[in-house]
Amino acid sequence: MQTSVTPDAISTVLSNPSFDSSSDRSEIVVQVVDLKPIGNRYTFSANDGKTKVKAMFTASLTPEIISGKIQNLGLIRLIDFTVNDISSKSTKYFLVTKCEAVGSVLDSEINLDSKSGEEEAREPKKQKLEHSPVSPLNDVVSTGITLKPKQEFVAKSASQIMSEQRGNAAPAARMAMTRRVHPLVSLNPYQGNWTIKVRVTNKGVMRNYKNARGEGCVFNVELTDEEGTQIQATMFNDAARKFFDRFQLGKVYYISRGSLKLANKQFKTVQNDYEMTLNENSEVEEASSEEMFIPETKFNFVPIEELGLYVNQKELIDLIGVVQSVSPTMSIRRRTDNEMIPKRDITLADESRKTVVVSLWNDLATGIGQELLDMADQSPVIAIKSLKVGDFQGVSLSTISRSNVVINPESPEAKKLKSWFDSEGKEISMSSIGSGMSPSAKNGSRSLYTDRVLLSHITSNPSLFEEKPVFFSTRAYISFIKPDQTMWYQACKTCNKKVTEALDSGYWCEGCQRKYEECSLRYIMAVKVTDSSGETWISSFNDEAEKILGCSADELNKLKSEEGEVNEYQTKLKEATWSSHVFRVSVTQNEYNGEKRQRVTVKGVAPLDFAAETRLLLQDISNKNKTSQ
Amino acid sequence: MDTSSPAAFVNGALLRRYIGQKVRAVIQVIRSDVGSVIGKSTDDQQIVVKGSPQPPLTTYLEVIGIAETDNTIRAEVWTNFGDSFDVQNYNELCKLANGEFRHLFI
Repeated sequence: MQTSVTPDAISTVLSNPSFDSSSDRSEIVVQVVDLKPIGNRYTFSANDGKTKVKAMFTASLTPEIISGKIQNLGLIRLIDFTVNDISSKSTKYFLVTKCEAVGSVLDSEINLDSKSGEEEAREPKKQKLEHSPVSPLNDVVSTGITLKPKQEFVAKSASQIMSEQRGNAAPAARMAMTRRVHPLVSLNPYQGNWTIKVRVTNKGVMRNYKNARGEGCVFNVELTDEEGTQIQATMFNDAARKFFDRFQLGKVYYISRGSLKLANKQFKTVQNDYEMTLNENSEVEEASSEEMFIPETKFNFVPIEELGLYVNQKELIDLIGVVQSVSPTMSIRRRTDNEMIPKRDITLADESRKTVVVSLWNDLATGIGQELLDMADQSPVIAIKSLKVGDFQGVSLSTISRSNVVINPESPEAKKLKSWFDSEGKEISMSSIGSGMSPSAKNGSRSLYTDRVLLSHITSNPSLFEEKPVFFSTRAYISFIKPDQTMWYQACKTCNKKVTEALDSGYWCEGCQRKYEECSLRYIMAVKVTDSSGETWISSFNDEAEKILGCSADELNKLKSEEGEVNEYQTKLKEATWSSHVFRVSVTQNEYNGEKRQRVTVKGVAPLDFAAETRLLLQDISNKNKTSQ
Repeated sequence: MDTSSPAAFVNGALLRRYIGQKVRAVIQVIRSDVGSVIGKSTDDQQIVVKGSPQPPLTTYLEVIGIAETDNTIRAEVWTNFGDSFDVQNYNELCKLANGEFRHLFI
């Protein structure tokens, strides 16, 4: 066992820059002093007893330090290293790429120069010797250096040493001293150096893409820190290849040197204003054998009542509810690859007195789904992270690969929900969120009795709709249909796209790339609607316009072309006015000639159900009373 | 408009407040006898309506008349309200019209 440094090793190396005899190198043993982390690597001073020189371990050696193989005050044999200049100063430093630990860790820094130092080094040894019968053989070496073997040799990791040195400091404080770890929430694009400690909570697959600038590959991960903040990180090409294997789901990493930019709201899957891009120079290092943390899942619950707003949107939602029922598992054949996938439907209810069906897929169906089935009679509360909102049966929710189900979570929301359910929820009858929707109306017309607004709410809030289309339901009267508007277009009978009249005869469809003998007319009609608060123009496409007018565009065209005393066309339009409907509308804003304009499009229309409308009004009255009290 | 003799909206429970006065109620017909109709008020109480309506009667009837006891009305006007009627809504209307929003009704 090596117990000594190589005398004058450092001065030899420094004075002989071309020092490269490998046989000589094997003789270089130095003591590691002042070991400390910088970023994801460690620096130290190499000590040969007389001279000290700054040195650095490459990142590849970091695990050796963390695992405790290389320790402060320990001896290492340098196997491969380079001597570099620090450009700003005239000093040099060693970059150690390969080394091995030799001997045991010493109690103090070796000092051959000063006699007093030697004396000092002897003192504690003598004291120790008095009460510990450690073999003195190693103590005095031929060089005359006094070395003192550590009496109880315990392999210690760097973090253990740190924790010993820091005493009882809080774990977080300790960690902050080893690395300046930034909370994810503090990151922004204008900040230079940061290191984050995060768990990979979702890992995407490597995707290949091809665009105008060539082809490449990309993958992304979702990272979650101790506080539960999440961010998505994306890697392209070289970085993607470099890090794809390194990032493993569920492991914790230190990451630095990534760049941040504003998240694309359209595609974001986690709650963060920013997203991260890692390039090949970014540093990603697994935080192995360190204290682990389990990130708390952060939820942004949407009440069941308000789910209508999210139908078929890209945005994922979180839901909390009381389990009402759990179905057995079913096998569904996936259309794309004919694979059979297990599925289980559970029904959840919340304080909005609505229920909704959530489909659990794959492992969630067989694993946690079975657990839920077993305990369904106890009405557990469950919280689900990341659900997709679809329009099956009005509103339906589906888990995706990264959805996360927590049974009986320890949160205030869960407690509140449980106590509501125990006190009144289990007594009352609840209706499905999807059932209140008109079965005749399709696209967009899902929840005619939720998110109900007055027209003034739409017209007085131009800024509300800047980001993406917003959906509302509104009850209004048709107040005017302009008779001299272009109300329809010639459409392909197959694909409904616009056709052009062919030169000879028939109609050419760009969509189908072929000629048809006939075409049909489809509405695209502007209608003015009015309610007690105001009025606005809405545009309506074929299916909705047919419901409003009660006849097809072809029929109406026929009436228009008929001459006669009474214009049937005008009559038809008049008949349609001053009737009230419930409209499902999407509101968007676009710029036209430098002017911002609101565009309201009918996505669904249904005749009034007076009893249901009355219920809604009664509910409004009781809600108003509650808030005014 | 004749406001000299207003008819209060009532359900079974509210009927007793108006004994000797004019009321209106919607009932679900249970049985039709000679000189009276046995029905169910919107709050599920049995009510006897005296008088002879013109048949045929639909499932729901609106009657306007004088409240005689806390479960009888002597009807003057009978109106068929059809076979589908939302009794909950009507019942809520009765409660609001006799409670918090009484000042809006004559």
